[in-house]
Amino acid sequence: MAFVKLNDLEIEVEDGTNVVEAAREHGIEVPHYCYHPGLSRPANCRMCLVEPHVFFPPAGAIVPDRQLATGCTTVLRTAPPDRKLDGKYDFIVRTDSERVKKARADILEFLLVHHPLDCPVCDQAGECDLQDYSHRHGHDKSRYLEVKNVPPKKDLGPDVLLYATRCVVCTRCIRFADEVSGTGELGLVHRGSHDEIDIPRSHEGVPLQVLDNKLAGNVVDICPVGALISKDFLFKSRPWFLEKANSVCSGCSVGCNITVEYKADGVYRLKPRFHEDINQHWICDDGRLGYHYVNSDDRLQLPLKRVDDALTPTHWADALATITEKLSDIETEDIVVIGSAQGTNEDNYVLQQFAHDVLKTTQLGLFGQLPGEAHKFPQFTIEADKNPNTAGARTILGSANGNTVLEGDALWEKVSSAKVVYLVSGAPERPLEDAEKAALESVDFLVVQDVLPSEVTQFADVVLPGTTFAEKDGTFTNSTGWVQRIRKTIDPPGEARVDWEITQQLAKQLGGEMNYHFAGEIALEIAENVPGYADATHQKIGDAGIKLADSDQ
Amino acid sequence: MVEERRILYEHLDVPDINTFDVFRQYDGYTRFEKAITEYQPEDIAKMVMDSGLKGRGGAGFSTGLKWSFVPRDIKPCYLCCNADESEPGTFSNRYVLEKNPHLLIEGILICCYAMGIETTYVYIRGEFTLGKKMLDAAIKEAYEKGYLGKDIRGTGLNIDIYTHPGAGAYICGEETGLIESLEGKRGQPRNKPPFPAVEGVFGKPTVVQNVETLCNLPFIVGNGVEWYTQMGPTYADTRANPPTPDPNTGTKLYCISGDVNEPGVYELDLGLTCSELIEVAGGLRGEEVKAVIPGGSSAPILTHYELDTRLDFTSLTLAKSMLGSGGIIVMNETRNIVDCLLNIMKFYAHESCGQCTPCRWGTPWVRDIVQRIADGDGRKSTMTRPKFGVAENGRWGDTGETEEIYEDLDLLESVANNIANVDTMTWNTICVFGIAVSWPAVSYLRKFRPEFEAAIREGKLVTLPVAEATVPPEENYAYQQRFIPKEFADL
Repeated sequence: MAFVKLNDLEIEVEDGTNVVEAAREHGIEVPHYCYHPGLSRPANCRMCLVEPHVFFPPAGAIVPDRQLATGCTTVLRTAPPDRKLDGKYDFIVRTDSERVKKARADILEFLLVHHPLDCPVCDQAGECDLQDYSHRHGHDKSRYLEVKNVPPKKDLGPDVLLYATRCVVCTRCIRFADEVSGTGELGLVHRGSHDEIDIPRSHEGVPLQVLDNKLAGNVVDICPVGALISKDFLFKSRPWFLEKANSVCSGCSVGCNITVEYKADGVYRLKPRFHEDINQHWICDDGRLGYHYVNSDDRLQLPLKRVDDALTPTHWADALATITEKLSDIETEDIVVIGSAQGTNEDNYVLQQFAHDVLKTTQLGLFGQLPGEAHKFPQFTIEADKNPNTAGARTILGSANGNTVLEGDALWEKVSSAKVVYLVSGAPERPLEDAEKAALESVDFLVVQDVLPSEVTQFADVVLPGTTFAEKDGTFTNSTGWVQRIRKTIDPPGEARVDWEITQQLAKQLGGEMNYHFAGEIALEIAENVPGYADATHQKIGDAGIKLADSDQ
Repeated sequence: MVEERRILYEHLDVPDINTFDVFRQYDGYTRFEKAITEYQPEDIAKMVMDSGLKGRGGAGFSTGLKWSFVPRDIKPCYLCCNADESEPGTFSNRYVLEKNPHLLIEGILICCYAMGIETTYVYIRGEFTLGKKMLDAAIKEAYEKGYLGKDIRGTGLNIDIYTHPGAGAYICGEETGLIESLEGKRGQPRNKPPFPAVEGVFGKPTVVQNVETLCNLPFIVGNGVEWYTQMGPTYADTRANPPTPDPNTGTKLYCISGDVNEPGVYELDLGLTCSELIEVAGGLRGEEVKAVIPGGSSAPILTHYELDTRLDFTSLTLAKSMLGSGGIIVMNETRNIVDCLLNIMKFYAHESCGQCTPCRWGTPWVRDIVQRIADGDGRKSTMTRPKFGVAENGRWGDTGETEEIYEDLDLLESVANNIANVDTMTWNTICVFGIAVSWPAVSYLRKFRPEFEAAIREGKLVTLPVAEATVPPEENYAYQQRFIPKEFADL
């Protein structure tokens, strides 16, 4: 640990921490554009200038260095005993001296000389570092009278637009493409004040390569200004009208931490949230853009019931009564209950309680999205398992009560011989394979709980409208054993209800004794009953998640 | 009358000196042979340290000191010869490359031997096609004669030289910009530290030396330190107590251009004055000296009041200018300083690499302001303000008079100082290109302010008589701030 004097604070920091991070930890802002903790440090924006003290001072003197240094590249380390400043400090640095303040304001002036100041129509307005730092550190007027550079607007890839006029050439995006995704589509063209970010182009300007990797959307997040813009979010909302909730991506079993940004009428975008051991600062575009089904007009809003071979809307009482009637006079071995890897641990826990206590069956299945492609980048991985909670669902369904959990061929074999199947899906647009189709077709009475009409729901006799990750509270367990929370953001559409509530209602109607009021209550019971989950209560998980004790990965 | 002392250039005009055989007749490679037979590598490094040789590329940093920073235990270590002579007004390396390339090879060999280096890259300015051709031919010959390659002269030394042409960027003459370019990247300087001596080419310790510096090595080894230190003055650096010697030894290749009768490269001892140099170059063309740029276009300008300034690293630094690359441009009374500054600022705005903010957007801004003044569109306020200068008590302060406010001149000085502050000698940029922009801008403005004011007042470029155009040193704040120690003045 290095003992550092930062402004008037005396702090201890880990060796190797830079001044920007050390200051941030203690609530002091050192403004910066090019520095990003997940990328290399070119120190080209010069915004984070700080005033270090001379490291080899003339005997006894404690003097500020003549030259300011960039905070991002000034690394704090323990000094040898004979080189301590003032006899005790490993480093002395000021971030609030007059020289530093002047330098910041001067740099900001340079950053703004070619900036179009089109904040009223800029997507970034409200979450823009140029705005924020100008407000906190900048001059109050412009002295620039000359002609501004007006580089063209460019289409860089499927989801990314470049408004080059707003660019401050911090090169975060270039470094991201070089270092994190390793795809290297971006570079600087021209020189000096004509520097522009661009993709490779022929002399005629035809793109030779586009920004089309699975991580491309991250460049929009790391752009400190409004230069790189997501086409998906373009002109959709001013950021300050968006509510934010910390959640977890449901796109695959990595379990990237995200922030769901939403208004009452739907989810607007997903942004990555830092988690050191899972996704660092990034998410993939499959996850980022995979939320659209939540807002879909096709969402199941009412229960459906098969009448004369067609699924027709009905009301909850009728739908549940139909199921209750069917289930009340059937042999236990003819029933299969199938949980979902898309569902939360709470959903699955209530489901297996229902199967065991009410239906008295120990035959459970696990259903979920079909496996997709895995992608490996230098600093990021996308898993092939496209379900957020396979690990959790598998453990929870099979945890208590001596249940067996069937998956794959074994499950479909079992389904073919069953009379009643209660299938919780929640996997949007899930296509069916031939074996699955045949098995589901042969079922006498199929109850499907889902969020969107799909191939699964078309075989159903009753369809119950469930909820997506954005509409409920709960926990997911990722492939490496991290249990993390998702949070309710928007209300479910129409009369759709949270999955465990539907299951509980069914249980009640069949005479079961189940009385949960909220997901956290179920989690407490999971913590009691499921091995390994002793600490996985909502309170303890918080925003950071907890790692299961027995997970060896 | 000062005489030229030709050492590096002694045999420059010998016919076919670029061939091995002729070079050999003039002691070629004997200095290298002396080095490897008579001295250990550490001895050579000590000789270079003792000789007081300062890097001739521009910064004037002690070569021996630079070598001492190179960690000896990390291999490979590289030598990078900077032949990207891109400073306007400088053209001395070019003649070495074109006419006497074996001298450079011998210098490289001595440096490689001293530092245990096996690979050398010579980064040649792309426009020097002839220089590269001659050097390539000389390298080929040296390989054939066994002075390069594996097991040189049976000593077990392996030394290879590769030449690499630049692509026309000024900034690739900056040592880390050069290294980036050499590695095949965009020519953009790196943040320092780490310095190249610790982490340079391909992340390995690298010695970066100018052509002229390397060409001095054979003579230091051949003739000895004592002989070398007799040339040029050695000052006392009084910042240390007791004062440490501050040698400015050896000769310098001064490239003199502009309004002199015989422009060209002159090899002279360090430490002669500006007026002496003009005499050597055939005297002034024109009536009187208006200004002298002492070290390439990035150096602060000297007025006719400062012609007795000695042209060596220390004296010019103390005079708030620099010797730089030794590119001296003399201007007579017909030259307009606003126009000169515009010319230089156009060059720097074009050559900024665009990596860091102040330089990327400050340099064209400075150019645009000067352009506006030159076009006659400079702004002048109708208001006046108290004039600062040498006050009645003899100190800097309010003189009691008023002066007119030339808004664009204030803006020009402020913007230039925001890139790199001339008074505090600090810069907000990654490399010293920022200094190269703001030093000329601010020094031209402060020393020739009447001409700038006239351009704004008259709405066009006006060339004033020298006496009128120049701000007397006693009224110039920067000049007032000069630090001239007694010991220095006595020498």
